[in-house]
Amino acid sequence: MVTVDCINAGRRAWRVAAALAMVTVDIAALSASAAIAQPAQRAAPSASPMPSTSPSQTSTPSAATSAAFARVGRAATPAEVRAWDIDVRGDFAGLPRGAGNVALGGRIWEARCAACHGVFGESNEVFTPLVGGTTKQDIETGRVKSLVSGGHPHRTTLMRASRLSTLWDYVHRAMPWNAPKSLAPDEVYGVLAYLLNLGEIVPDDFTLSDRNIAETERRLPNRHGKVFFRDLWEVAGKGDVANPACMRDCPVEGQLAASLPDAARNANGNIAEQVRPFGPARGTDTSAPPRTEPVGTR
Amino acid sequence: MRELPRFSGRIAKAPEGHLDPVLLETARVARRRFMGRALALGAGAAATGLANAQGGGSTAAAGPPGKPSSSADGDPAILNLPAHTTGLGQPVAATGYGAPSTWERNIQRRQSPGLTQVAQASVSFCPLQSLFGIITPSGLHFERHHQGWWDIDPAQHRLMVNGLVREARVFTMDDLMRLPSVSRVHFIECGANSAMEWGRSTVPSVQYTHGMLSCAEFTGVKLSTLLDLCGADLRRARTVLAEGADGSSMTRTIAIERALDDVIVAWGMNGEMLRPENGYPLRLVVPGVQGVSWVKYLRRLEVGDQPYYTKDEELHYVDLMPDGTSRQFTSIQECKSVITTPSGAQTLLDTGYYNVTGLAWSGRGKVRRVDVSVDSGRNWRTARLEGPVLSKALTRFNIDWVWDGTPAVLQSRAIDETGYVQPKINQLRAVRGTRSIYHNNAIQSWRVAETGEVTNVQAF
Repeated sequence: MVTVDCINAGRRAWRVAAALAMVTVDIAALSASAAIAQPAQRAAPSASPMPSTSPSQTSTPSAATSAAFARVGRAATPAEVRAWDIDVRGDFAGLPRGAGNVALGGRIWEARCAACHGVFGESNEVFTPLVGGTTKQDIETGRVKSLVSGGHPHRTTLMRASRLSTLWDYVHRAMPWNAPKSLAPDEVYGVLAYLLNLGEIVPDDFTLSDRNIAETERRLPNRHGKVFFRDLWEVAGKGDVANPACMRDCPVEGQLAASLPDAARNANGNIAEQVRPFGPARGTDTSAPPRTEPVGTR
Repeated sequence: MRELPRFSGRIAKAPEGHLDPVLLETARVARRRFMGRALALGAGAAATGLANAQGGGSTAAAGPPGKPSSSADGDPAILNLPAHTTGLGQPVAATGYGAPSTWERNIQRRQSPGLTQVAQASVSFCPLQSLFGIITPSGLHFERHHQGWWDIDPAQHRLMVNGLVREARVFTMDDLMRLPSVSRVHFIECGANSAMEWGRSTVPSVQYTHGMLSCAEFTGVKLSTLLDLCGADLRRARTVLAEGADGSSMTRTIAIERALDDVIVAWGMNGEMLRPENGYPLRLVVPGVQGVSWVKYLRRLEVGDQPYYTKDEELHYVDLMPDGTSRQFTSIQECKSVITTPSGAQTLLDTGYYNVTGLAWSGRGKVRRVDVSVDSGRNWRTARLEGPVLSKALTRFNIDWVWDGTPAVLQSRAIDETGYVQPKINQLRAVRGTRSIYHNNAIQSWRVAETGEVTNVQAF
């Protein structure tokens, strides 16, 4: 509920900020005082998409515009920022303090998670399985071998994950499926401990906490499995394939390499009922076998 | 069955003869409702006309119940005047927010079976084969939800901007819609569009091969204006995190350079407010970038100095390479095109002239050229680009084709203003293998058989 007081307070805060000659207020630092753990140390990510040099200018609207905009919006209160600023970044900035063990996680899992993901995170009923496809050797190397060979039928979450920060953030913000944001921090730690235990990444008596989450992350089977590909991040990138724009007598491999099998023809329903029944072409009656008559008959 | 005069190759079967029973019933009910209204208005003449019109479009196929006319005299659709010619039509504002013709009921966004197991975290595909020009009608815009969609009360919606800003601020829709706005046409494509086709042809029609694609005119305030207003610390800022207000509270990292360039915090789409399925009342528009970054139900923007490694930057929307590593932060939708007519699961009615038409786009700027081949890529001709050709927007192309009735394989190949040429699928596979799911921008091939049937094939 936005009250007039609140808005006035916002305006006052704006003026104060302006009077302080554009003092930069780092809200992340503000939040740290509210039971948020300090960012854990981690090695500089090899896949950082950030440029090493920076633009060297603070964004300052012209005086006239700035004054005009001052009445648009209001300052957020610290409680409002705490309520919504829930992200946990790759360096664990924003991670709430807390702890949960495998046993706690198991109880929550059975009550809140198992219906979709299966008791052992193995279910493929609703979502792709969370657990499977990783080995003890993967935990040692930090690279999931079945991602190379393609030997496992699914790409499970534990095969893909390189960061526990991501799993913590996502479970906390979006799970359980039908009641997102209902797990307390300790419960999130417990659920992750249980999940990691299912993947035999941590022992049965393990407790995950804000204090050991960074070192636990260094046991993730696919922690070295990601590369940053700049060409598909930056507008100015060049891409990774080069197709010459040949116009005449271009080389082709000849025969059709693949075509839709007749068995799959009607898998998406009868296309004749999915297109406009007039115009230059009709939808093919895919409920029937391919026609054999020449064009224009039937 | 009467012998019909062959006025052209297309008239042999009148449209209604091809409608499915559900559609026929809809049209019948619509006509009856019309008759009821016309009678209520005292328009007796309408009733007379309607008797003929009951046959309406189906005249040719089923024979008219009204005054018969010999087929030798000509086309009954001309000779038997229909209700809409002889009666009174509907009044203004009969529908306060208009809907498409009942005859267009086949044209729907649709799910592809087997793709996902739960409809709240799924996708519906846009019926590209049935659309014209470059603007996607808002009701046919493709959908991708991660935890179900909502119709949020705009009076209760808030946008917070925090992080490396002078002051964390909160905006209502009232606030945002006061700010200077821009209106720009941009395509949005899911990073997983054409994902099923990496290994082989798997789905029948362009709706399913390419339908996670739409294009609209978006209206909103530039993100750079908002960051300015909040006093973003651009000496330290490297990223902006965008976060949604729905259950999944989707998050994605946007590079600060892009945030300050052409990103829009949008409320308008094609002249109306965003549709609920597309993020009403507020979404991020990140031109040229895959749809997952266009965060819907946008509630928060955080200015940061590092990437966030969110779920969809770490577990999904990463491109698995042959060596088992995954490319992360792959975001650009590279130059791509597809022929929409003739296209998969269509049947041509005759040999002769066709206007081959399709769409081209690039996440790096404008489309410069589109070439079309009808012989599996051996020879190419340059198509006409219909204006306007806009940056990071769909571009419509057309080219003449006279089909001689022999098998043909149709392809289109787009080139963008950077000179990048849309690749063949084998060229993509040589670098990325077949398992990367995302960012398949390969040339699409449609085979036209002697029978007139068009099917999805891969030819290179």
